[in-house]
Amino acid sequence: MKRPSLSGILHSRALFLFGCVLGGLGIAGVIMAACGYPVGAAYGALWTGATGIQTGPADGLSQIGFVIAGRQVHIHLFLFAQSLARATPLILTGLAVAVGLRAGLFNIGAQGQMVLGALGAAVAGQAHGLSPAIHVPLVLLTGAAVGACWGAIPALLKSRRGVHEVLSTILLNYVAVNLAAYLILHGLKDPERMAAETREIAASAWLGTAPFALQSNLTGGFLIAVVAAVGFAALLPWTAWGYRLRAVGLGPEAAEAAGIKVDRTRIFAMALSGALAGAAGAIEVMSVHHRYVEGVAATYGFDGIAVALLGGLSGIGVLVSALFFGALESGAAFMESQTNVPADLAVIVEGIVILFAGIRLVRRSRAREHIEEGRQATDVSA
Amino acid sequence: MSLLDVGQMRLILALSTATLAGATPLALAAMGGILSERAGIVNIALEGFMVTGAFVGVFAGRSSGWEGLAAAAAVGALFGLLHGFLTQKMRVDHVVSGLGINLLAAGATRFLALRWFTTEGVTVIGVPPTVFIGLAVVLPFCVHFALYRTRFGLRLRAVGENPETARMAGIRPLPLRYAAVGLCGMLGGIAGAYLSLGESHTFSSNMSAGKGYIALAAVIFGKWKPAGAALAALLFGFCYALQSQLQISGKHLHWIGIEWSSPALLDMLPYLMTLLALVTVVGRATPPAALGKEI
Repeated sequence: MKRPSLSGILHSRALFLFGCVLGGLGIAGVIMAACGYPVGAAYGALWTGATGIQTGPADGLSQIGFVIAGRQVHIHLFLFAQSLARATPLILTGLAVAVGLRAGLFNIGAQGQMVLGALGAAVAGQAHGLSPAIHVPLVLLTGAAVGACWGAIPALLKSRRGVHEVLSTILLNYVAVNLAAYLILHGLKDPERMAAETREIAASAWLGTAPFALQSNLTGGFLIAVVAAVGFAALLPWTAWGYRLRAVGLGPEAAEAAGIKVDRTRIFAMALSGALAGAAGAIEVMSVHHRYVEGVAATYGFDGIAVALLGGLSGIGVLVSALFFGALESGAAFMESQTNVPADLAVIVEGIVILFAGIRLVRRSRAREHIEEGRQATDVSA
Repeated sequence: MSLLDVGQMRLILALSTATLAGATPLALAAMGGILSERAGIVNIALEGFMVTGAFVGVFAGRSSGWEGLAAAAAVGALFGLLHGFLTQKMRVDHVVSGLGINLLAAGATRFLALRWFTTEGVTVIGVPPTVFIGLAVVLPFCVHFALYRTRFGLRLRAVGENPETARMAGIRPLPLRYAAVGLCGMLGGIAGAYLSLGESHTFSSNMSAGKGYIALAAVIFGKWKPAGAALAALLFGFCYALQSQLQISGKHLHWIGIEWSSPALLDMLPYLMTLLALVTVVGRATPPAALGKEI
């Protein structure tokens, strides 16, 4: 049998995903039109909000002008930066979900891990008199550590008590949000503020805003997220722990038989997953809010699931799909401000894209079916 | 012979009615979840069914609450069938399909509510809550009977446990799964309609607030059995009731440095109790063997 080439697979997969995105935008466009909104103007604004690209000559320092095919075009750097800023937590939560799934664990708890990571970071950010070179990594690592501890719980519950991780992570999300609310109400609240927020973190723990778009939320946190994605892509196929993680995800029984400690690998994977989600929370605190605020994690933890699935659980795939989702959401916010079309359109598109991307139309080959039948037979005898 | 004074009687009455009211949407959705999962379809989409039901109930129920309820049930069933089609025919992973439907439902209901309802929202007369509560009380018995005493139930369970064997025995798994997941969508829609039509008489986008997930937790907590899930729903309902009563009374319970009557802590209670129960009493819950598998 002829083996399909790797580039061929990647090519067709990328085309397929592109088709999914077009399908999502198409169906959302039909809904928009049915509601009587101007589809063309709305999608035009969405595109501008997502990429920053606008027609017309550049005016001011925050815009870079081009001439394409005789027409003057410019990139609005603020809008472009906002898209990247929006993608930053999505990259990290997407990686968090991808790590778990690679080890065969569905982490729906990235939301809770991110919330507690943000709270931990906000507390560590209160320290005064540290140099930024120490304080920034300290706050980031605190967020990651808190997230890791919270993330390890479902893996422990699974290995010790057989509790399914989908259920325990869903439950732990609610526990995390309420735990954070409790800690804020009873001790950590900024007494000068009405809202349930912590005090502002010290300036030494702030991440600097990108110099080309000072009004935006884009900071060095984006670079941290990109490094994490590239690191994930580079380390998972080439390291021993990456191998163990993937082996456990592909088949825990086989991994166990090969001498891999399945429980320990699962706990490691979930801790890593939680650490990534916690780091996402820390970066949001250090870049955007500079304190823990309610809703700091928005729905980034849940969106991370969509990002990971669309990205095919690979580091680079997650990076690309997070950039897409970030641009889509940021663009939708701009669209709402320009055309009054609700930004929730982005969520509709995301949902449809996920459903399309999950479709597996290719029939399993006969050989593959034989293998699976064999596996089922051994399952019965075991 | 008065063991309890009037105040205590009133408190107990208030607690028990609030418990029933809180348990109702959970029990309705959980019964749907049981049907779907016992037939082998994982149903995280319950949350989406509920949001949809809540929205459609108000949207179609502006002139008559009953019309709204019927529409919520119908659209819920359609969403259920969509989940069935995606997981069975399009071979989408069950959790992925559920999450996609939840995203779609959350986005679409908010989008449409902003377009079709005024900013203050729409108030509807709705449907008396006793209708839903009555249904929630009766339904677990019906589902129990259907699952364990009818041919439909036996076949449904067979398909959920081992579709291959079921097929060899002459049962066609696909129609059964569609029926189960369609019913699940319908019940999820009705559960959502309770929140809008029965309870608050309006729609707000955050209305279901994870109740679909909690209903799923009740299913697993109850080991995929109607009686167990109904009791779990009651337990969660009791937690909600306790919380609201404590908040109304304004009492403070302060013990070993922890403010036990804090709303945040009380909100956490149902979830924490489920976790503790899963770790201790419930032990290893065995899901239907073919849950989430392809047929």
